[in-house]
This record gives sequence, structure tokens and C-alpha cells, in this order.
Amino acid sequence: MEKYDSIWDMYQKKGMSRRSFIKACSAMTALLGLAPAMLPKVVKAAEKRLPVVIWLHGHECTGCSESFLRSSAPMTSDVILNMIALEYDDTLGAASGEFFEDHLQEVMKTYKGQYILAVEGAIPADPSGGFCMVGGKPFLNQVKEAAAGAAAIIAYGTCAAWGGIQAARPNPAHALSLNEIIGNKPIINVPGCPPIPEVMTGVIAHYAMFGNLPPLDNKNCPKQFYGNRIHDTCYRRPFFDAGMYANDFNDAGARAGWCLYKLGCRGPETYASCGNMRWWNGLSYPIQSGHGCIGCTSKNFWDNDPFYRRLPEFAGLGLGNIDKIGAAVTGALAVGITAHLATSAVQKKKRDQKELEEEKKKAEAAERRSRGKD
Amino acid sequence: MAVKQKEFIETSIPGGSQQHLTRYYIFSPFLRIFHWTMVLCIITLFATGIVIMTPMSMGEGQYVTLNEWHLSVDWIRNLHFTAGFILSAAFLFRIYGYIINKGDRLLPRFFQMKFWDDFIEVMMHYCLLKYSHKQFLRNPMARMSYVAIYGLIVVEIFTGLSMYFQVNPNGVGAFLFSWVALPFGEMGLHVIHHIVAWGIFLFAAMHVYMVVRADFMEREGEISSMISGTKILAHLPDDINDIRDSNGKIIKG
Repeated sequence: MEKYDSIWDMYQKKGMSRRSFIKACSAMTALLGLAPAMLPKVVKAAEKRLPVVIWLHGHECTGCSESFLRSSAPMTSDVILNMIALEYDDTLGAASGEFFEDHLQEVMKTYKGQYILAVEGAIPADPSGGFCMVGGKPFLNQVKEAAAGAAAIIAYGTCAAWGGIQAARPNPAHALSLNEIIGNKPIINVPGCPPIPEVMTGVIAHYAMFGNLPPLDNKNCPKQFYGNRIHDTCYRRPFFDAGMYANDFNDAGARAGWCLYKLGCRGPETYASCGNMRWWNGLSYPIQSGHGCIGCTSKNFWDNDPFYRRLPEFAGLGLGNIDKIGAAVTGALAVGITAHLATSAVQKKKRDQKELEEEKKKAEAAERRSRGKD
Repeated sequence: MAVKQKEFIETSIPGGSQQHLTRYYIFSPFLRIFHWTMVLCIITLFATGIVIMTPMSMGEGQYVTLNEWHLSVDWIRNLHFTAGFILSAAFLFRIYGYIINKGDRLLPRFFQMKFWDDFIEVMMHYCLLKYSHKQFLRNPMARMSYVAIYGLIVVEIFTGLSMYFQVNPNGVGAFLFSWVALPFGEMGLHVIHHIVAWGIFLFAAMHVYMVVRADFMEREGEISSMISGTKILAHLPDDINDIRDSNGKIIKG
């Protein structure tokens, strides 16, 4: 990988001082949420050469790339030009056509087992279906080929990580997530529709810095960005705890910025950095702008509709309001119990009468027998 | 619990005559204490759960009153969690009682034909098609209800703990219970937890009715058995073998 310089090489070429390099490393340490004591390690990592990245686009809207371009810390331009060697990205690449596709083949051959594969978008499972063709070939084949030689794979966005909107009911293209296609490689899931820009650049910066995957949770999402519920980091949480809710998007509670729990906010089930990092350099996030979270980092979030009710109606079950159904069943049960009780009481009376008559008969028989003896 | 095997007691029998009734010791204190702990916990859990699902929200100003009465969602959630942990802990004691006492082990005998024959007989009686059924320590329907209620409670405990511990997804609790959320997602956990809660509530309503009904239909001391641990029967019950020890003697308290 002699072709690509390290960050420190870049600084030297530009004639910048070691001091400004260390300053930049300190900023990076703070950004990645590392302890100040980790600074020497960050410096060491920044002296490493740049990792090669191949970025593929599948069944998607390119919203994740749009988000990626708006990262402010680190700046997207820094990531693309200084932290990684982005060798193939059909959205950002200046080249196109056959030449560009040939370049992809060349890069995959040259850096086999060394490059990072970043994938955006879901993958239609049937290659003969004609969905999502790249360069005249099905995307499924391209992603499998690229994954075979990758050192690590990053699934950017909910589509690549869980299938996303493409995989939602009724899933006409039979779209699958990257995890369902590739089984034998470590995949970092960076879900979100789209993910927060700084989360996208942060994950790839971590790999560029340390040369390994960031710590992952049981859903293979980076712990530092997906380790908290939005509900637990939300600035409206005190309103939830105090019982102050917006009942309607037009009421006083909504205007006052109270909790959106009753309007179907998915914050209590969603893991993302929206509550603490927020969007666009900390400007805002959906709940701050007055709309409940729709849980876009969750698996099958699109099927957990309607978004404006506390609990979803699962496919085909038609649950409606569970409490109303429960109350109706309780009412029916009360009627049933009353009827059963009344019938049982009648039955018991009959049974007791019968027993009484039998007893009488027995007593009479005994009396007759005793008379006979006399 | 020094109760003799043949201790005769008087009770009101139709016709005024006296019958020889025997008191059988069945339930250990572990089961009985668990039962009443469960009653308190389930009432608390169900009531608070409904409020958590649809919190009270009556417009501006009401939250001041609610907080004064300790009815804020924060308080109600803490109550819910406390009751949940007490129930989970009590369930462990129930398991201990299950191990040490045969009378706490009156579960359905799924693999015996006799069990299913008796089951049909009892069902016929409950459907009012038969005047009476054989006497049991625990009839097949009641045995099935153990499986039902404990199954529902186990589902509630696991889904509840899974949701609770996700506050810190990197902690020990999440490590132990977060797998519960994997098949249906965390949103699915909430739905399952809520539906099963209604199942438990409906079960409890039916259970209370069946017990009261059994008490006045059979006169076996059904209600008091959950306090004294004993039932009073006129005949040797059909499933007496379930509380005999290895020597064939009926186990007494």
C-alpha cells in the first residue's frame, strides 16, 4: 500500500508542524470518545498508511451518502482525502462507465484481503429478477465478489444492515440485508435512515485509526454510537417522567415541547446517538423538531406501523388497541361467569335434592329391614 | 402441621347427616406464600402496566396534582419494576417448594391416558353436562392451569427483564436477557408483554370464579386450602398417589 501516505506523511508534505498534528490527534481522541490517555495510540495510528475503501451502492436512495457528505467532525473531505483511500464509489467518483468498473476489478485484485468494503442499500436476492443491475450485472454478484476479498465490511444505513424499506411488507423485490447474504465475514452494522453523518465518518475513522473494528454490541452495531436508547438520552425525558404529554400535535403540550410518547414516539425502543450527538453538528433531531422518533435504526422499523400509536399493529394480526380488546373480553367473561354461576347453582340444588331423596330411601329401606327383623 | 391421617371433622352436609371427612395436607408454605405474593404483585403490575401503556394526561396543570400524589409516570414505573422484581424472586421460592414438597408438584400427567380421561370428565362437569366429577387433590383442569399461569408469568418475567436491562445494553443484565428481543425486536417485546399481561388478568378472573364455585359446589375447603395448605375430602381422592412417599404412605405436613 505504498501508494497511500499516512496522515503524518500528509502533514509533513504540506509542511505542517508536529505540534498541529498532535493537536489534530487530540481532537480525534475526544471525538471518538476515548480517554485522554489514549492519545499516544491515536498518534501511532495516525502515522499509519491509509486503508483502501470500496463503496458499493445497492437497492437504496443514496440518502446515506447525502448524510455522509454533511459530516462536520471529522469533515467529510478530511475523511475522503486524508483518512482513507476511497478507490471506488460510483456516486462520488469522477470517472464512470467501463473504465471505472475495470478499476474496481483491479483494486479488488491488488488489495485482496486488505480493503474495507462499505455497502449502502439492500440486495435483491434473485439475480435473474432484473432488479438493481450495476454495469449490466446483478448487484448481488458484485457485492458477493467484493465481500470475498474484504478485510472488513461496513453496512451503512438500515437497508444494508436490516433490509430497510425495500424489505418491508410485501417486499416485492425480495430484498435482503447484507447480513443475510454474507455469513463468513465480520460486518459492522451502522443502521439509520440515514445514519447520523458523524456516526458514519466516526466508524470509518476508527478503522482507519486503529486498523480494527470498533467494539460491537449483540446486533453488531458500534457500542459507542448505538449504546443508548434515544428515550434515555432525550432532553424531553423529564416531561415523560413527570407525566407531561402531548396528546395531539395541535395541543398546548405539543407547543410547549412535552413528551411525544402518546403520539407513538419510538424513542423507548430505539438505539442511536440522536439524543446526545444530534444532527447537523448538534443543531436538532426529530424529537426536538416536534415529531416522534420512528425508530429508523431498528430492524423492521417500517413494518412497526402506524408510527403515531404507542404500539404497532403487527402484520395481519389487526390488534388495534389491545386494552380495548382486553376490556371487551373481560366484559364477555363477566357475562359468561354470571350465566355459568347461575346454572351451576341450579344444578347443585338438583344434585342435593337427589342425594336427599336417596338418603331418605336408604333410611326407609333400613327401617323396613329392622321392622322385618322384629 | 401435625394432622392425623384420619381426623374426622364436622361440616354441613345436605340432609344434616354426618360424614367421615379426612384432611389432606397438600401445599407447602413456599407455594402458599408465593401464591399471595403473586396476587399482590399481579394486581400492582397489571394496574401500573395499563397506566404506563396509556399514561394519565389531562392537560395543563394536572401533572402537579399527579406528582403530589406520587402518581407520576416515574413513580408508577418504579412501582412496576419493584413489583416485577418481587414476583421474579418469589418465583424462585416457588421452584424451591416444587423441589422439596410432592404436593407442590401436582402438574398435568400428559403422557397418561387416565389423565386425559379424567380431563374430559371434569370438562363435561364444567360444561354443565355432568352433575359431578370424581374427587381429586387437584383436578386435571386445575393442573393444566398451573402450566398456563406459570408459562404466562415466565414469558412476562423474561420479556420484562429484557426490556428493563436494555437501559444499559452493555451491562450484565442485558448480556443475560437481551437475546429475548432478537426474534421479534424490542417493539415486539412490548406487544407480547402487553398481550400476555391481559392473558394473566383474564386467567386470574376465571381462576377466582372457579375457586369460589368449587368451594360451594364441592365443599372441599378450596379457598381455605391456599391458607391452611389442606383440603377436606369425603372420599379417598383419585390422584392420592401423587402425595404418597416411596413407602406408599400419604405424606403429611
